[in-house]
Amino acid sequence: MKKSIRSIIVLVSICAVVSILMALTNSVTAPIIAENDAKNANAALLQVLPDGGSFETVDMSAYTLPSTVTAVYRASNGGCVVQLTTSGYSSGMVIMCGINPDGTVSGSKILSSSETPSIGGEAAERFAPTLNGKTAGDIETVEIISGATKTTAAYRSAVKDALNTALILGGASIDTRTEEEILQDNLDSALPTAQGKFTKHFFVEVIEGIDAIYTADNNAGHVCVLGEKFVGVDNEGNALTECTEDEAQTVKTAIETINATATELVDLSAYEGLPSQLIQAQKSATGNYIIEIKAAGYGIVGGDEYHPASGEYIMVRVSITADGRIIDCLTVSQAETEGIGDACAKESFYGQFDGKTEADYTEIDAISGATLTTNGYKQAIGRAFDCVKIFEGVNS
Amino acid sequence: MKKDGNLSVLLNGIIKENPTLVLILGTCPTLATTTNVFGAFGMGVATLAVLICSNILISLLRRVIPDNVRIPCYIVIIAGFVTIVQMLVHAFIPDLYDMLGVYLALIVVNCIILGRAEMFAGKNSVGRSALDGLGMGIGFTLALCSMAAIREVFGAASFAGIAIPALENYKIEFLVKAPGGMLVYGLLIALVGIITAGKAPKKKSFSCAGCPGAHICGSSDCAKGKEEA
Repeated sequence: MKKSIRSIIVLVSICAVVSILMALTNSVTAPIIAENDAKNANAALLQVLPDGGSFETVDMSAYTLPSTVTAVYRASNGGCVVQLTTSGYSSGMVIMCGINPDGTVSGSKILSSSETPSIGGEAAERFAPTLNGKTAGDIETVEIISGATKTTAAYRSAVKDALNTALILGGASIDTRTEEEILQDNLDSALPTAQGKFTKHFFVEVIEGIDAIYTADNNAGHVCVLGEKFVGVDNEGNALTECTEDEAQTVKTAIETINATATELVDLSAYEGLPSQLIQAQKSATGNYIIEIKAAGYGIVGGDEYHPASGEYIMVRVSITADGRIIDCLTVSQAETEGIGDACAKESFYGQFDGKTEADYTEIDAISGATLTTNGYKQAIGRAFDCVKIFEGVNS
Repeated sequence: MKKDGNLSVLLNGIIKENPTLVLILGTCPTLATTTNVFGAFGMGVATLAVLICSNILISLLRRVIPDNVRIPCYIVIIAGFVTIVQMLVHAFIPDLYDMLGVYLALIVVNCIILGRAEMFAGKNSVGRSALDGLGMGIGFTLALCSMAAIREVFGAASFAGIAIPALENYKIEFLVKAPGGMLVYGLLIALVGIITAGKAPKKKSFSCAGCPGAHICGSSDCAKGKEEA
């Protein structure tokens, strides 16, 4: 009994003494360690902003900043460092970007990401220095790197957000809206009576001077896009937005043209050799064709055991003049892989076909990572050209 | 065991009873921290410091610590010193701290330290224990440094982080990897075996006789060891 009590006392007192020794050491080293850590954190910031001096964290809640911004540090030299989280090829790409006091990029680097190291990761490393010295105004002029489009495009837009953040911190009010939001806002201000619901008009006729027409879903009128200008018009084509006489004439002609456009179905049985993918064709009074055709993208030809394809075609509507020039192109429906092939439903993809002929329609930018979708789409457009030739009786 | 002189206590650890190359203790940090001479030296010195301190303290307390709580007491003392060394390294040599990472904390379970506490410090005077700790620590550091030198110079064409341009095109990168470490380790053990041929301690002189479980162990080797002890 005496022996075990002695054991306990000895062990407890050794533990106590050792604990006291550790506590003493900790009280000496803890402040030094904390200081080192702060210095290291500072060093990371200094890598992207070498002249930064010392840094202090900015209270982000005081500003309206782009949604990608996760932390902002103000440097003692007047510049700042912005930390952003964005999505490149995969999500969770954390970027740190330094901004000089004069509003140019001083440096940027990826802190962590799940990009493919040998592709996106490597490309981003090459890409970062090319952004140095750019401002919010001219950063878009830096070409993204092909083969790593998603990574470098996301990188560039993140750095742009950082530049905007610096401007906002400096007191400027910056447009942080996305392209879609800008379009919607422009449409709303051009035709407020449409209550914000618009459908893009599908062109059947070539209309000079008009880039796009949006028709109000509630029949309140249309909005014509003339370059940068958005003109609201009523259903008869009278301009409601203030504009020059030439512009008023242009939009009036445009609306009269689209109102007058009459089309009739083409009797497909009257022709031989039409591709089986053709669903229907219409011919306008002026001799243009609207072709609706199926494109076999990843949904049909792709897929294996692990990635079952949807089994659905991409539905493409394309209007072509009798002499073989595309007027307008639209993806009606698709069931391609989300986040990859479904980019074929974006205007940035199908809009590329506008104005193309059979000679140059293949020269469009493919959807990154979706070769099958792009190829299927191109093949469908090629077949649409064939249809027009058959309708027109041209021997191919 | 016959009593060695003080000098031979110190020298024992360096070649004759070198902890890594003869006693084959502390293999894990030996393989893990010898890719760089700076890291290996730091690991060796950190271990040396812990070894001397724990040997001295354990030797001081050897009459106070009851036999049945001997091991927990040793572990607490060793863990305490390791934590203190770790905090000091973290504060004053942060580069080394980053390089050694978890292996610094793992000195706690390094067999060399507990082994010396058990085999030597628990039975010898303070002075001799300190000398033993110093010798073993130097032996460990030398073994680590020579291994790291071979691996770094031939595997990464640098020495303690300083590049050797002449070897730049002749790197044997395999040596920096774990299997390369095993290979170098094996070669060094063989080399020390040749040097100490015939003079190295017989197995029983440092295993069964010093084994704390000798009196309950039924193995014939142990029984023999017990008799000799």
